[in-house]
Amino acid sequence: MSGTKCTRLSGSLVKQLLDSVDSVLFDCDGVIWRGDQVIPGAPQVINLLKEHGKKVFFVTNNSSKTRRMYAEKMSTLGFSVTEEEVFGTAYCCAMYLKTTCRLEGKVYLIGSSAMRQELEAVGIQQTGVGPDHVLGKQSDWAGVPLDPEVRAVVVGFDEHFSYMKLNRALQYLLQKDCLFVGTNRDNRLPLEGGKAVPGTGCLLQAVETAAQRRAQTVGKPNHFMFDCVASQFGVQRERCLMVGDRLDTDILLGSNCGLKTLLTLTGVSTVADAEANWESGCTERQGMVPDYYVESIADLLPALQA
Amino acid sequence: MAGAFGFKGCQKIRGAQIRGLLEAKDFFLFDCDGVIWHGENAITGAATVVNSLIRRGKNVVFVTNNCTRPRENYVHKFSRLGFTDVMLEQIFSSSYCSALYLRDVVKVHGQVFVVGCEGLRRELLEAGVPCVEEADDDPDATIYNCALAPDVKAVLVGHDDKLTFLKLAKASCYLRDPECLFLATDNDPWHPLSGGRILPGSGSLTAALEVASARKATVIGKPSRFMFECISSQFRGVDPSQCLMVGDRLETDMLFGSNCGLDTMLTLTGVSQLEEAHEYRNSDLTTNHSFVPDYVVDTIADFLPAFEELEELND
Repeated sequence: MSGTKCTRLSGSLVKQLLDSVDSVLFDCDGVIWRGDQVIPGAPQVINLLKEHGKKVFFVTNNSSKTRRMYAEKMSTLGFSVTEEEVFGTAYCCAMYLKTTCRLEGKVYLIGSSAMRQELEAVGIQQTGVGPDHVLGKQSDWAGVPLDPEVRAVVVGFDEHFSYMKLNRALQYLLQKDCLFVGTNRDNRLPLEGGKAVPGTGCLLQAVETAAQRRAQTVGKPNHFMFDCVASQFGVQRERCLMVGDRLDTDILLGSNCGLKTLLTLTGVSTVADAEANWESGCTERQGMVPDYYVESIADLLPALQA
Repeated sequence: MAGAFGFKGCQKIRGAQIRGLLEAKDFFLFDCDGVIWHGENAITGAATVVNSLIRRGKNVVFVTNNCTRPRENYVHKFSRLGFTDVMLEQIFSSSYCSALYLRDVVKVHGQVFVVGCEGLRRELLEAGVPCVEEADDDPDATIYNCALAPDVKAVLVGHDDKLTFLKLAKASCYLRDPECLFLATDNDPWHPLSGGRILPGSGSLTAALEVASARKATVIGKPSRFMFECISSQFRGVDPSQCLMVGDRLETDMLFGSNCGLDTMLTLTGVSQLEEAHEYRNSDLTTNHSFVPDYVVDTIADFLPAFEELEELND
């Protein structure tokens, strides 16, 4: 890709960039908040963008909340947002199964009750949510009763993940016509204070290894989440900006979909990471280099307030 | 002997050819599941084969990735299923070898966090390797408020039917320290049970932790060489050219044999099919050739006629 990449966004460039887009997509963790702590200035940025007539959407790989729960969290933190503007993987996964897969039948779900709710909202029944421990002997586990209506195994973030759940997923997936879908491959779920817990990517890898099958993932960097936004709101790629903190999910999604990309440094990735990708000479890695970067999205405020 | 059929012959042998092998080799390594037994059932003729080899003065050892039981349990199982002369010293499980690795190779000072079952912990404790106590985590313990043990110098992953998210989280916390070792008993993605059923294997749990920690585990069990080094060390030096590795899984047993410079024999009573061996042999990828056995038998009971012939010859 010729032209400049990974430019510090400041001064008149900010207004120039904002004028060139009609829609802005924001990742959440590490961009507008960290855990329950808002990034200072973030609510004002979102609200001002809307006042300036921009469409604003939120695109997150975090599957532990429904879009309604996200909207409520955002309102509490001062963001003026409606639930239709939020695209989390719990919602997008349900949409994928309903509209792309046209799934008829149930889902065996390794995931949160939020995922269950989003599935039920599109009329898909699930089995499996909640704690599930081994009982009996090894020979019982392999012969665990399978619900004949299950036609898909879906894996999202699940704090109740256990060997028994892994086992059930394996037994369902041995049926060749059983679909296999994962929300995302993030290896860590960020928490406040810099702590991290294993992410959905780990749970998904466990199931994929046992079943020797690869899941179709719905979340960033796969383009499905952008397609969801675009189809519902008529977003034009060339006039769309993706703002995120992870090169391998947010920025790569932006590159894959032909969007402008902005990296914020309040989360996972650094400028050094981006430069290393650029210098690698490897086309895959070069998709993980943003057009611009800022220290924090609060850096957009001066241009918005002017 | 591999020269007899060219490189990695993958040929079914019987009769005189097996007799030739029995005469040429003096060290026989057997995998267990799918080779000498299926669950609680010995493979027909297997006990006679093993007992005969031992009585003829051959060295016989058992090399298994199964890390769920301590070796004493295996001694009882061998006896129960009619393998009368098998002693503790002949049994090499991935859990026993993991304990040896920690004690003798790493010389670990500090505790080991074990993601595995009781059988694995017992092997470690018997070898004098301290393990972090399996705390009865109260149901409300989360990664925020659970206690992390100090001085954890290694994380060891094996088959764990009591795996929880909290264990995965604790293990990945310990692995943030680059000085903390990351070991796996084996990386079998699934284990076979009798009746063609399978269960998730240690490999699936190890894979989860590799993603969480962005680190690669050091694998103790087959196909890694370490278990052969354990065997060799215990028998005061074993000449690979004198050995025959007999197993049922191409990606584990045959690759192990290949990695250690041993001749390999695939028996068809277990996981891998002959067609799969042929696919690896015909593959353009030369690394796939390491999965190809030198010899193939339908069952190790095919050795029996060769013993009878040897007896006739000796009369």
